[in-house]
Amino acid sequence: MEYLVAFLLGIINAMLVQNTILSKFLGICPFLGVSKKPESSVGMGFAVLFVITLSTVICWPIYQYVLVPAGIPFMDTIVFILVIASLVQICGLFIKKFSPSLYKSLGIYLPLITTNCAVLGTVQLNNSLTFLNSVGNALGTSFGFMLVIFVFSCIRVRLDNSNVPKAFKGLPIALITAAIMALAFVGLVFNFVN
Amino acid sequence: MENKTSHKENFLKGIISENPLFVSILGTCPALATTRSLESAIGMGILFTIVLISSNLLISLLRKIIPEEVKTPAYIVVIATFVTIVGMLTNAYLPELYDTLGVYISLIVVNCIVLGRAEAYASKNKPLDSLIDALGMGVGYSLSIMLMGLVREILGTGMITFGDIFTFIPRFSIPLLAYVNSAGIPVYDYSIGLFTQPAGAFIVFAIILAILAFKKNRKEENEKATQLLLKKKKKEEEAKLKEMEGANK
Amino acid sequence: MKWVYLTIAIVLIIVLVAIFFITYYLNKKTPIPKGCEDKLINKENCSSCKNYECDLNGIKNKEEKEDK
Repeated sequence: MEYLVAFLLGIINAMLVQNTILSKFLGICPFLGVSKKPESSVGMGFAVLFVITLSTVICWPIYQYVLVPAGIPFMDTIVFILVIASLVQICGLFIKKFSPSLYKSLGIYLPLITTNCAVLGTVQLNNSLTFLNSVGNALGTSFGFMLVIFVFSCIRVRLDNSNVPKAFKGLPIALITAAIMALAFVGLVFNFVN
Repeated sequence: MENKTSHKENFLKGIISENPLFVSILGTCPALATTRSLESAIGMGILFTIVLISSNLLISLLRKIIPEEVKTPAYIVVIATFVTIVGMLTNAYLPELYDTLGVYISLIVVNCIVLGRAEAYASKNKPLDSLIDALGMGVGYSLSIMLMGLVREILGTGMITFGDIFTFIPRFSIPLLAYVNSAGIPVYDYSIGLFTQPAGAFIVFAIILAILAFKKNRKEENEKATQLLLKKKKKEEEAKLKEMEGANK
Repeated sequence: MKWVYLTIAIVLIIVLVAIFFITYYLNKKTPIPKGCEDKLINKENCSSCKNYECDLNGIKNKEEKEDK
């Protein structure tokens, strides 16, 4: 029971209180780039969920049972990026070969994930957690990513039709929107702590 | 002589016309996350420039050895190696900087700028050219994040503090948005704490981009106006010429 | 005992590099499934990072070249 509570709290914490995008600034590139349409943002979100969870499950044991006993924990960056990149390639390969329908909805976003800082950042931040908590953290992070990118893409659709100052058109107004969303999430932090 | 100017242009393009942060919108994650203070922005800029220069140089030296099919994986391995080395050195000699930047040091690996420069420039050009290109890009990126760090620190805390992260210099701070009250104590009432928070980073970035867009728009409008004027003048001249020809006949 | 782990770690890294290179090569060779060609991220859908690592970027570049 205690484990379950810690697991669920970990998910909520990573999803809302310490949101990947809005408070840790991981994964800003896809947040700004793939958020023009709600459908593509959902596809990106699921691809991130898939890769973050899988790579956490693989990387955590490697770190704890190979790198730490060998005395080379500083090699984590290179090992993790290799695991993530090969995972992305393997998934892309399988999806291409066996499931064109899945490729349509998810596969096209896979190549964008190797250079997505949210994945490497989350996997690296999991080093100090237990296995269950790190899986919870991974799930929460990707749910938080999905939530924020989906809401943001819906706002952007409305923004396209609104009348903004010419200099703010496009990216600047999107960033201002993101700032207001970040403010909302900061409010959540204080409520959660008090 | 011609070569020299091209080197200079090659260096300057990374700072102005092809600025990675403000023109190409690359590497936004560290630019937003590590600009809470000017000092951490400087630290990030230096580490980033070192990784960019060394990986670009090595990739440019190896450009004929790396097979075309597995180019990108080789670049990723090279970049990750350099990031690991830089991270270890930082941890050893500047532990405060390492603690402040934390996970963002290793996230230089997935920074689009490093891989982008390797793929777009270093893989096709000579070592010296790639070195200058990397230096320009690195300095351009560092200057842009330093600008963001400066704005955020001044607006957020009302002063600039040095010596917190680079502990080898004595700690001192320059009060900027402060006034001295009747008791003789400086008060930082004008500072806006929001700017040290995540939302402030987005706002500062948005406003800088908007200013750049405003300048660009105005330049384009000016160009259009001058072109229209030129066209008008040409037409008038042609009309005059035709009149002259008609008179001659 | 430590050197055993160290050997394992070094072998692991080498194996990972090899896996990465091989899968990258295989993935590049595998054609995109039929009916999905038009679904790829184009300039309108993704302006994120001019990500040179991204396969789609290669396709994008080709399209641009053909346009010229």
